[in-house]
Amino acid sequence: MSILELVGVSKSFDGVKAVDSVSLDFSANKITALIGPNGAGKTTVFNLISGFLKPDEGYIRLKEKNLNGLTPFRIARAGIGRLFQDVRIFKEMTVLENVMAAFDNQVGEKWWVPLIEPFRVKKQEREFLQRADELLQFVGLLEKRDDFAESLSYGQQKLLSIARLLASDTEILLLDEPTAGVSPAMVPQILEVIISLRNRGKAVIIIEHNLNVVSEIGDWVFFMDEGQVTYFGLPADVLGNAEVRQAYIGL
Amino acid sequence: MNYLLHIFIMINIYSILALSLNLLVGYAGLLSISHAAFYGIGAYIGTLSIMNLGIPFLPSVLLAVVGSVLLSFIISIPSLRLKGDYFVLGSIGFQIIAFSILYNWVGLTRGPYGIPGIPRPSFFGLTIDSIPAFFIFSLLTAVLCAVLIYIITYSPFGRLLKAIREDETAAEALGKNVTRCKITAFALAAGFAAISGVLFAGYMRYIDPTSFTMMESVYILSIIIIGGTGNLSGPITGAVLMIFLPEILRFLQIPDSIAANMRQIIYGLLLIVILRYWPQGLLGDHKLK
Repeated sequence: MSILELVGVSKSFDGVKAVDSVSLDFSANKITALIGPNGAGKTTVFNLISGFLKPDEGYIRLKEKNLNGLTPFRIARAGIGRLFQDVRIFKEMTVLENVMAAFDNQVGEKWWVPLIEPFRVKKQEREFLQRADELLQFVGLLEKRDDFAESLSYGQQKLLSIARLLASDTEILLLDEPTAGVSPAMVPQILEVIISLRNRGKAVIIIEHNLNVVSEIGDWVFFMDEGQVTYFGLPADVLGNAEVRQAYIGL
Repeated sequence: MNYLLHIFIMINIYSILALSLNLLVGYAGLLSISHAAFYGIGAYIGTLSIMNLGIPFLPSVLLAVVGSVLLSFIISIPSLRLKGDYFVLGSIGFQIIAFSILYNWVGLTRGPYGIPGIPRPSFFGLTIDSIPAFFIFSLLTAVLCAVLIYIITYSPFGRLLKAIREDETAAEALGKNVTRCKITAFALAAGFAAISGVLFAGYMRYIDPTSFTMMESVYILSIIIIGGTGNLSGPITGAVLMIFLPEILRFLQIPDSIAANMRQIIYGLLLIVILRYWPQGLLGDHKLK
């Protein structure tokens, strides 16, 4: 059953249709890959889902709730988290602080609460600290918890972004090229984390150029070209399609 | 003795200003050049409340804080749409407008004539009527403000401000209301600056708009750039250094006309050297980018 759906969504920039009447649906417990050549509109779809762009036409629904017009932070609170292609970690904060900052419903984020209810804040901080350690353990960064995030390798920064995303506890995870720029030795660790997220019941949506990764972990694939979804289906079917191969990798 | 106490009183006042501006620059990453405006607004609201409305000192402080916070919304709500350099320009615009109002609304502020004869702070039957008493009063006020700012910044709210400073798009994608946080940071900074303003007015017993110019905003910003941002020790160190520095020149027997220019040159050189070699300031945690 679909948890998130896009119906007839279009977006143009200066008259050029970056996304053209796209309809997509995504389910929990599944890794759905969005593939296609550069400029196909994949990242624009992510920007539309996460509210950084507003659709010109069509609508986006999360469990029957229309997301059109909501700001990015409200969409995130509704349950859609995003891993950016360029990681966007909080560089001058420690690994632990990165994760701690991501938890939702923090009473201490209202400035006056630490002044008038310090013990309530401390109690919640202890709970978050424990959960943050669990998440860092999950992504294999526990021993780096007190290091500044900027000191991590690029692959570790991607893992930290995933841990941060998990701290925000969203049901739908948009992962924009999670393995791009990562050393080959680290790719299996990232894929393992993504698979276990799917197994935890999350709806994982990835944009990925590495077709080996798509065939290895993908449950469903949408192929986009020139702003439209032209093929979709099981990874083996889509990746085996001659027209897809021609459009994508010129084979 | 009174001379030294005077320096320490100024350090206390400027420490509050630096710590409050640090909320914006060091934590929220908002480079604002309008802090002297809130300092001045606080000084004028506090003074006018006491002298024109006969309101006692402590409620006047409260009024100054509330007034300054409300006025902070005028700059923060529209200007937070601006990013980077444009935000800096927006803050300069507010600073210029605030100064012009203080200078030209003669009917209320007496404009360039200033307001003389401001009464000494008085509360609970106690009047702060000597320099040693004012030193203790200003020190206690500065410590109280520092403790409040410490609790606010070393909390999840402070952590959120730092996250916004580092990458506001990422913070927003994590479900954080970035705009509200920035407005709050602005209001807090304005509120604390207003406290410094009332303190300054009560100490000098005279205020005029020239104490709250754009140069003053730049001076407060210089304090935190030199001392460092992103923690409490940097701004306080900067305040101590920048208040003491001209006093050292005084002992070098340099004529006043030259000393004033030398002071500006030394500030400028210090800023260039610090930004070049210690972008996080002497004791700061955050590199200004």
